[in-house]
Amino acid sequence: MTTYAKSTGRRFWFRPQWAAALVALVIALLVPLYLQIHSPYWLHVLIVAYFYAILASSWSLLAGYAGQFSFGHMAFMAIGAYTTGLIGRLVRLTTAPTGMCAEIPLPGRDLWLVFINTVGDNCLELGKVNMPAGTLIYRPPILSGIILGALIAGLAGLAIGALVLRFKAAYLALFTIAFSEILRTLIRGEPQITRGDHGLRVAPLFPQTISRVPDYYTMLAILVASLLFMYWLASSRVGLFLRAIREDEEAAAARGVDVVRYKVLTFVITSMLAGLAGAFFAHYITILSPNIIVLPQMGLVIAMAIIGGVESLAAAAIGGMIIQISLELLREFEAWRLVIFGALLILTLRFARNGLLAPLLQRLSGTVPRAESREEASQAELGEEVGA
Amino acid sequence: MELELRDVSKHFGGIQALNGVSLRLSGSQLVGLIGPNGSGKTTLVNTISGIYKPDDGEIILNGEEIGRLKANEVTRRGVGRTFQVTRAFRRMTVMENMLVPALAVPSDRGHREIKERAREILSFLTIDHLRNDYARSLSGGQQKLLELGQLLMTDPDLLLLDEPFAGVHPKLMETIFEYITTVHAQGKSFIIISHDMSSIFTLSQRLVVLHYGDIIADGPPDIVKEDPAVIEAYLGEDEDD
Amino acid sequence: MKYFLSLCTTGVIMGVIYALMALGLTLIFSILRVINFAHGEFYMLGGYASYFILSTFTGLHPLLAVPLAGLIAALIGLAFEIAFLRPMHQGRIERPDEYAILITFGLSFFLMNLALAVFGPYPHRPPSFFQGAVRLGFVNVSADRLTASILSLALLTLLLLIINKTWIGIALQAVSQNKDAAAVVGINPLRMNTLAFGLGVGLAATAGALLAPSFLIVPDVGAVPSIRSYVIIVLGGMGSIQGSILGGLLIGLVESLGAGYFPDPSRALNYKTAFGLVIFALVLLFRPRGFFGRKEV
Repeated sequence: MTTYAKSTGRRFWFRPQWAAALVALVIALLVPLYLQIHSPYWLHVLIVAYFYAILASSWSLLAGYAGQFSFGHMAFMAIGAYTTGLIGRLVRLTTAPTGMCAEIPLPGRDLWLVFINTVGDNCLELGKVNMPAGTLIYRPPILSGIILGALIAGLAGLAIGALVLRFKAAYLALFTIAFSEILRTLIRGEPQITRGDHGLRVAPLFPQTISRVPDYYTMLAILVASLLFMYWLASSRVGLFLRAIREDEEAAAARGVDVVRYKVLTFVITSMLAGLAGAFFAHYITILSPNIIVLPQMGLVIAMAIIGGVESLAAAAIGGMIIQISLELLREFEAWRLVIFGALLILTLRFARNGLLAPLLQRLSGTVPRAESREEASQAELGEEVGA
Repeated sequence: MELELRDVSKHFGGIQALNGVSLRLSGSQLVGLIGPNGSGKTTLVNTISGIYKPDDGEIILNGEEIGRLKANEVTRRGVGRTFQVTRAFRRMTVMENMLVPALAVPSDRGHREIKERAREILSFLTIDHLRNDYARSLSGGQQKLLELGQLLMTDPDLLLLDEPFAGVHPKLMETIFEYITTVHAQGKSFIIISHDMSSIFTLSQRLVVLHYGDIIADGPPDIVKEDPAVIEAYLGEDEDD
Repeated sequence: MKYFLSLCTTGVIMGVIYALMALGLTLIFSILRVINFAHGEFYMLGGYASYFILSTFTGLHPLLAVPLAGLIAALIGLAFEIAFLRPMHQGRIERPDEYAILITFGLSFFLMNLALAVFGPYPHRPPSFFQGAVRLGFVNVSADRLTASILSLALLTLLLLIINKTWIGIALQAVSQNKDAAAVVGINPLRMNTLAFGLGVGLAATAGALLAPSFLIVPDVGAVPSIRSYVIIVLGGMGSIQGSILGGLLIGLVESLGAGYFPDPSRALNYKTAFGLVIFALVLLFRPRGFFGRKEV
């Protein structure tokens, strides 16, 4: 797709922001070499920081580009996480039918997709008696769970988006806040399926090693891939339409933009990204509880995006990392840390609407729009022109 | 281009904004739409352009009923409109403003062609030098020019202009006049709402007068001007311009 | 039939309290055109305030803490409105609609964490208003809940009287209908905004203080009541006072009947709030402007 973002005339790779990103990436790639030996715990902190960076930046694509405010981002993350977790718990592949479980033969292969019941005796155990000797039972590949997790998060996003995005922005906020709280109640209220507050065990992504390095690189790869994808999207015609929608929905429609369609599209994409991040994260922390969707968690992601700068994907991502790392550094302040970030969120909204990092990044990369820096100058020029 | 309104009604709460308006427009016409404040002019433009859905009646464009379509679908069928208070995308550059309609409405133009055309139109409107500036840094009149430019990017057959002359510097006014006459000469139709009587009398071939949601006169400007119902409607009304 | 009637009784008893809280949200929306996403945290604040007051002044009757709690929350609301919402109505904030959503959500995040830092995650419970239970028809209702419900009803009536009969109420209505016209006749819309916000969050806190002895208070105790209020105002029609009262009663009934007839009683309570989401979705599908809403959605 052609890029419609304003070009500065320089070639892609020579722009300072890309050079800076490249340097940051190299550092991120080298960091584990040091941390692995000296401070494996900080490797964990960084993995969590990358996880939050994905959430904060995908939230900012929805909020900062499309002007749609969802309070359900963590719920979509949880959908991704629980989908892959539940598949690992309740779905098996067998080389022979159990005769006891709900099961589907997979076409073309001697494999059965088996769904384990959640009430009563375990049907797989019961079925083993009848299954021929040498029958193999596999867990479905983790990757399939992760992909399904992202897809189901996207489907939930599609259903909610199609219902709510026809209305004013406040309705999305209202509906998603309700959705996210109710999803939490349901996960908690169906312990036979989700294990509720006991926590759902999830298989680790790299069972062969106790080192966190593979997880680190995986999370980093997802972060980089989702940032690249979102930048590509934002610089395509979709990004252009989203910004128009954000400026003025009615005017965008009058200029031919199918407003609802692009809002829903963005909502689905960002929900999928949240689901994807959640699914990977589930296999990293290996235990899930309904508390991952509590509203303070959502508030934290929003604080990251806003304090970083909601209109810049990179600023939101960096904001996410910085805040996550600060939370770690400020451990001794315990619960007061979040009070501080809450206050900072409110003050940033009121006094630095573009966030604390985004203006800094803009200055560094020299992408301050011409008109921004010389708004007054251009007004003066205009006066002359009219007077001439 | 063929536009027909059949008994179009629209009300808000208890207020009847359009009261069974019927209107036919064919070929390439330049219609002035006038009427006292609150007579339903903007409502009519909003209803044709799909921002509002009519409560009753039909709007038929080239044989197709468009009254139930969304605004973007109406735009794709060749209707462009400006807003009384300009609504350019303020935190996007002038060029980006031009690209939105060009890319939103399918066409067989390539990327390069679209940009060239945008620059051509901007030059014609005397604002090409501002193409990399944010729209919000433009003066009110320049924003009006930008909106007029945006319209041309979708190649509309019918242009609905809501108060194109209001609050515009005389210098820019000339440009807008030239725009209307040039585009009209290319075979496009216009419906122009204006309080600026002298401009609208000079420009239009046909005047439609709305009063409390009814069309009370429709015809050549010279005849409409003398219509007693029109004079009556305007009596006691403070003329803005 | 007996069962049905007893469920209806509990539904109405809770519905009145829900209506009180939703009315606060409606009041704020109709005047400021802002949805207060921190509404639940003022409910929470009301609960903690009454707990704090009663544990400091141990001789005080628990009922007296209720108005005090409402007042404290209202004062916090007034200060927040003046500092963070007033600039928006003075045109000093870009993209005010977005700002309103985010700043109130930010306040909710802040208050929830503040409560966590000050009071910790463990539940608190202020003393009962009255011990025991009262027999109402076929059902026993705890004296605390009945007290809360009766006081809510009284407060609702009082508010309706204030809104419809007093100068201040009529001024509020005028501002909700037309800011500019109200300003012309000498009503200061900015002052009305502040007043409405203080009053609105005060109502939420009063509801919180009234229900505190019945339900425990934890930092996120406001989440469910606030979501319920959102459903109620969407159902009733954004900004409609009758709508929020009727909506409150209806949600009270739906929750009570829904939980009462839920096939698996052990899980019924978990699904109580989920009914609200279903209603929310149905309203958006079939009647987006609610019962009494203005047409714009």
